[in-house]
Amino acid sequence: MTARRLLSILAIVASALLGMAPAAAAQTVGPFDSERVSVADLLADPEAYTAMEVEVWGELVGDFGRRDDGTVWTQLNGDAYAETPLLADGSLAGANLGIGVRIPAGLFPDLDRPGGYRVRGPLVVLQGMWRYHDPDRGGESYLDVTGVELLETSLALEEGVRWVPLGLGAGFLALAGLVAVRTRRRAG
Amino acid sequence: MLLRPDPEDLRVISYYLGRVLLVMAGVAVLPLAWAVIGREWAPASSFLLTAGAFALVGVLVSMAPPRENRLGLGHGMVVVALAWLIAPALGSIPLALSGHFGSFLDAYFDAMSGLTASGSSLVNDVDHLAPSLNFWRHLLQFIGGQGIVLASVSVFAGGVGLSMFRGDGREDRILPSVASTARFIWLVSGLHLVFGVLLLGSVAYFGLGFTPARSLFHGLLTFFSSFVTGGFTVQSTSIGYYHSVFFEAATMVFMLAGAMSFSLHYALWRRRGRLQLLRDLETRTLAVTMAGTMVLLMLGLATLGLYRNVGSLARQGLFHIVSAHTSSGFTLVPSTEIAQWGGLAFVGVVTAMFLGGMASSAAGGLKALRVGLVAKVLKDQVKRVLLPDRAVVPSVYQQGGRRRLTQQAAQAALLVTLLFVGLCAVGTAVGMAYGYPLQQALFESVSAATNGGLSAGIYGPHMPVVLEVTYILQMWLGRLEFVAVFALFGFVVSGVRGR
Repeated sequence: MTARRLLSILAIVASALLGMAPAAAAQTVGPFDSERVSVADLLADPEAYTAMEVEVWGELVGDFGRRDDGTVWTQLNGDAYAETPLLADGSLAGANLGIGVRIPAGLFPDLDRPGGYRVRGPLVVLQGMWRYHDPDRGGESYLDVTGVELLETSLALEEGVRWVPLGLGAGFLALAGLVAVRTRRRAG
Repeated sequence: MLLRPDPEDLRVISYYLGRVLLVMAGVAVLPLAWAVIGREWAPASSFLLTAGAFALVGVLVSMAPPRENRLGLGHGMVVVALAWLIAPALGSIPLALSGHFGSFLDAYFDAMSGLTASGSSLVNDVDHLAPSLNFWRHLLQFIGGQGIVLASVSVFAGGVGLSMFRGDGREDRILPSVASTARFIWLVSGLHLVFGVLLLGSVAYFGLGFTPARSLFHGLLTFFSSFVTGGFTVQSTSIGYYHSVFFEAATMVFMLAGAMSFSLHYALWRRRGRLQLLRDLETRTLAVTMAGTMVLLMLGLATLGLYRNVGSLARQGLFHIVSAHTSSGFTLVPSTEIAQWGGLAFVGVVTAMFLGGMASSAAGGLKALRVGLVAKVLKDQVKRVLLPDRAVVPSVYQQGGRRRLTQQAAQAALLVTLLFVGLCAVGTAVGMAYGYPLQQALFESVSAATNGGLSAGIYGPHMPVVLEVTYILQMWLGRLEFVAVFALFGFVVSGVRGR
């Protein structure tokens, strides 16, 4: 009797576990198992990814706007310049490809500076929900981040003096001054 | 019979052209100082070259002063047309040397777009551009939108600057002299500058959480661009970068201020005749066309089902119509999305860009006064047809008081309207010849001809050279509203064929 009861209980538990398996499996689909897309994909067909969990690679650029509501807004660029910056012998590849991202302050890693002049910004993989024309934010489109993986911190780049333009410029100014003085003397 | 210009004509033109270029040399010192302070040595060397080139060319062409101070209307027009061709050429030097442009022509396109306050850009990787270079792009817009000629009139030309003033597309003198009018415009702009940088910088600092330095940077550059209805932005994602309704609202305030004529600014400044101005044909026309095109855009966006609530539709519709109607060119969405706006949304935005702001403002387009006059002519014609033969239809309108609509004014308004339509048609045809669909080619052509700056995706570093040159010419012709360019053309022809 006890064994039969035990078997019944085990059978019920087993079937319950089997029934719950898909749900449990769905719960384990965390941000890191989300669909890998590029910024270019999101820009090319933004509607296709509406409310989808996606994973996007790119460089954080511009500003880290830390707002009072506990979020950090910045821009994620997924273009050729994120891979090889122009100042690191990268080649011209057209306009930037960027999207806005909203990261909860608690998830935001300790980053020193975003990408900009002479700085290749931090390279990250962001996971989150793509909010296309979000009605709660007046129709804005952005990535609502739920996970951040920092791949590389920001990288300082160099750009030295351009001696030829400098010399030519100084020469032109000196020549302009000379001509102006001579013209004034002649007129005087 | 054409009269060949005499050497004195050439001396007058080259002398005043030189003065304009010398003013630009002075302007180029500002980004040079910025670059030196920011230890941006590569851009600093380019700015030294730019300042030197402006100074040298300016001094050389103004070496021989005219014997008498006679700057006629034709001379002034030719000076203006030439200044708007040469200033972008020299102003594009630091852009071309920056490594962010594929060719000198691309850099020239950007400088022309800046000086004409168009806002279209061919820059690659603007998100990593040196701050001093970004400052230069925005400063070009500010100087161009205000009028490089205006600056020169204020500094050098004095009382003889009326012809240059007119050539620059500014028809009304607010104060008795051109110089005092120019100074008043600079005063208004200076006050707006202080207020604008404080407002936009405060929103960036307190609302968006930017650092103090970056808040000032965003505030200054966005003000430069919005007050002259330019369209360049600090980041590649335009005003959409800020994700802030407050920043958008502040930007709209300055776009609208930039699209107002300086007569309106003067009336508001002096607190006189405000109600009168609200009754003016131009003010009423602008209000009606802006409301009409906004309804079109919002209906169009609603039909396309792009936004899911009224709040989103209102925010997106209002911002993009203000941007298009003031010929600013800011966006909240990528150009790939704008390219998808068909039907009424497309009609609304293109119509808004075509109509533009007020006369004698920084805005481009056909201008509200001309639109109002053309509508008045059509209305009067219909009345004449419908009323009995003996009926007298009075052709009067309100504009700074009651005015009679003369045949000359009506013809001028109709002619410029036709010229703008023709210019847009030519640009569209060239775009279509390169395989772009009609809607996209028309959008881009109207944007270039009206100095609008919005893009449906054709503007880009890889566009065909002929199309690029076409857009450059459209921006130049549209900014100068044809007359100065025709004067230059006539001057060249009479130099070759005249007696």
